[in-house]
Amino acid sequence: MELEIRDIHMNFGGLKALNGVNLVIDEPQLVGLIGPNGAGKTTLTNIIDGAYNPTSGTVWFNGERIDKLAPYHIAHRGIGRTFQVTRAFRRMTVMENMLVPAMAIHPTADRRERSQEALEILEFLTIEHLANDEGGSLSGGQQKLLELGRLLMMKPDFIILDEPFAGVHPKLQETIYEYIRRVRADGKAILLISHDMESIFTLSERLVVLNFGEVIADGDPAVVKQDPAVIEAYLGEEDEEEEEETEELGDG
Amino acid sequence: MSSRTMARIRGVDLRVAIPLSALIILAFLAPVVMVALGIAPYWFHVAIVAMFYATLAASWSLLAGYAGQFSFGTMAFMAIGAYTAGLLGQFLAVGVVPGIILGTLLAGLFGLIIGALTLRLRRTYLALFTIAFSEILRLGLMAEHKITEGPDGLPMEPLVNTTSKVPPYYIHLAMLVLGLAIMYALVRSRFGLFFRAIREDEEAAAALGVHVVRYKIFVFVVTSMIAGFAGAVHFHYVEILTPNVLLILQMSIVITMAVIGGIESLIAAAFGAIFIHFGLEIMRPLLNWRLVVFGLLLMLTLRFFQNGLLHPILQFVLRREDVLAETVAKRKLPGEGDPA
Repeated sequence: MELEIRDIHMNFGGLKALNGVNLVIDEPQLVGLIGPNGAGKTTLTNIIDGAYNPTSGTVWFNGERIDKLAPYHIAHRGIGRTFQVTRAFRRMTVMENMLVPAMAIHPTADRRERSQEALEILEFLTIEHLANDEGGSLSGGQQKLLELGRLLMMKPDFIILDEPFAGVHPKLQETIYEYIRRVRADGKAILLISHDMESIFTLSERLVVLNFGEVIADGDPAVVKQDPAVIEAYLGEEDEEEEEETEELGDG
Repeated sequence: MSSRTMARIRGVDLRVAIPLSALIILAFLAPVVMVALGIAPYWFHVAIVAMFYATLAASWSLLAGYAGQFSFGTMAFMAIGAYTAGLLGQFLAVGVVPGIILGTLLAGLFGLIIGALTLRLRRTYLALFTIAFSEILRLGLMAEHKITEGPDGLPMEPLVNTTSKVPPYYIHLAMLVLGLAIMYALVRSRFGLFFRAIREDEEAAAALGVHVVRYKIFVFVVTSMIAGFAGAVHFHYVEILTPNVLLILQMSIVITMAVIGGIESLIAAAFGAIFIHFGLEIMRPLLNWRLVVFGLLLMLTLRFFQNGLLHPILQFVLRREDVLAETVAKRKLPGEGDPA
C-alpha cells in the first residue's frame, strides 16, 4: 500500500486552501492529521477520495495516478472514507446501508454471506440490534458507527476517518477506539483527522500538521508535539483557549 | 419445515408471491366474469387505460421514488415510443410488433441521452429540464403536422384486428405484468440498493463505490423503455395519437397516481393508477368536480400520508421477509426471542 501526494495546490476562487502539500504514506500505519480550523484537512481528504480535482499536483495510489478519477473508481481501488458530518442513507435500513458498499465493490458476492458478515461487524460495533432500523432513526453516534461499519464492508486498504469522535458519547468513543485498533491490526493504513488531541496522541503512530494549507510538521507524535511551529499554530492556540477557560472558571 | 422456510422457497418470498399471483389470476379471469355478467365493454376500456397508466406510474415510481430522479419526462418517452411505432407504420409499413420494438428501443436511446445530459441536475433543475424536453417534443410534433398530423392525430394500425376489447385487455395486462416483473427484479437486486443509495446521498454512494453515473443513466434507460413500450402498445389500441399526450397535465396525472399509491413502491404506484383511474370514471357524473376530489385527495396524501395511501396497506398485507430477518434468526440462541 502506498499513497503519495505530490505538490497539491487547491484554490477556491481567491482562497488558497492547499499550498503545495506533499505527503507519502507507504506502510500500514495510523497517521494523524491535525491543524486549526480551515487548515485544509478536509480539502485534502476530498482530493484523495476524488470528490475534488486539485488545481495542480498529483495523487498516486499503489503506483497509479488517481487525482483525475471519480470517487467510485477510487473506492474500487481500495480507498474508503467517512465524512465529518455523518452521511448514513437515512431511509435505508442499517443492513441495507452495510450492503451498498459490499455489493458495489464486490458485485459477485453472495448477498446472504455479506449480510452475515455485516451482522458480525454490526455486533462488533454494538449496533447489531438496530440492523432493521432506518439509518435516519439512529443517534448521531450510532450513525458514526454505521459509517465505520460500511467502510469495513468495502474491505479497503486505506481508510480516511474524518472527525470520528466528534459529538460521540464517551461509551461509543471507546467502541471507535476498538474499531481503529482492529483495523490497524488487520494491516490497513489509516489517516485520522480529529480535533480530539487526546485520541490523536493516543492512537497515532505518525502525526502530520497542516496550517494554512501547508504541512508544517510530519513525524513522531511525541516530537511533533514539541515542534515550536506546531505549538504556535495549533497547540499553543488551544493552550491559550484552555487557559482562558480556566480563568473564566476560576472567576465563576 | 419451519414457517420461515415455508415462507421462502428457492429464494421466492411466498408472502409476496402468493397474493400477487392471486391478483394476476383475478385480473386474468376478470374478463370471463365481466362477459358472463354482461358488463359493458366500456369498463373493459376503462381497465385497459388504467393498466396503461399503471405501467407509466410504476416506471415513474422506479425513477423518482427509488432512484430520486424527479423527472417529468415519462410521457415524453411514452410519446417517443408511440410516435416511432406510428410513423414507422405510416411511412414504412412496418408491422405493429416490429414498430413496438423499435419504439421501445428509440425511447431507451432518448432515455440514455436525457439521462447523460441531466447527470449533474438535481430535483427542481431536473424537473424543469425534462418539462422543457417534453414541451419541445410536443411543439415539434405540432409544428411538423405534415408528418405527424399534429392535433388532427396520427392514425395507428390497430393492435389486433377485432372490435372485441378482450384481446387488448390481455395484451395490456401482459404489458403491465411484464413491466412490473422487470422493475421488481431490478429493485430486489443490488441495483435497487444502488438506486436508493443514489437517491439518499449521491456523494456518499460514490465514496462507497457505487458507479453513480452508470446507474443514473441505467435507470433512465430502463424506465424510458418501459414508458416507450407502454406508449407504443397503448396507442396501437387507441388507433390515433396526438401531441396532447405530452401536455403537462397528462404527466401530472401520472405523478399524482404514483404519489397517491406510494412512490416508493412499484406495486403501490401501479395500484394507485388503477384506483384513481377507476375512481375518476365512477365519479364521471360529478363532471369537473371529480377533478376537485382528485386534487383534494392528492393534497391530503401529501399532507398526511407521504408514503401514499396504498403503500402502507400493501406493506401490511405483503409483509416481506428478507435476508436480514433470516440471518438474525439464525444468530439467535435456541429459544431466544421465539414466542412459546
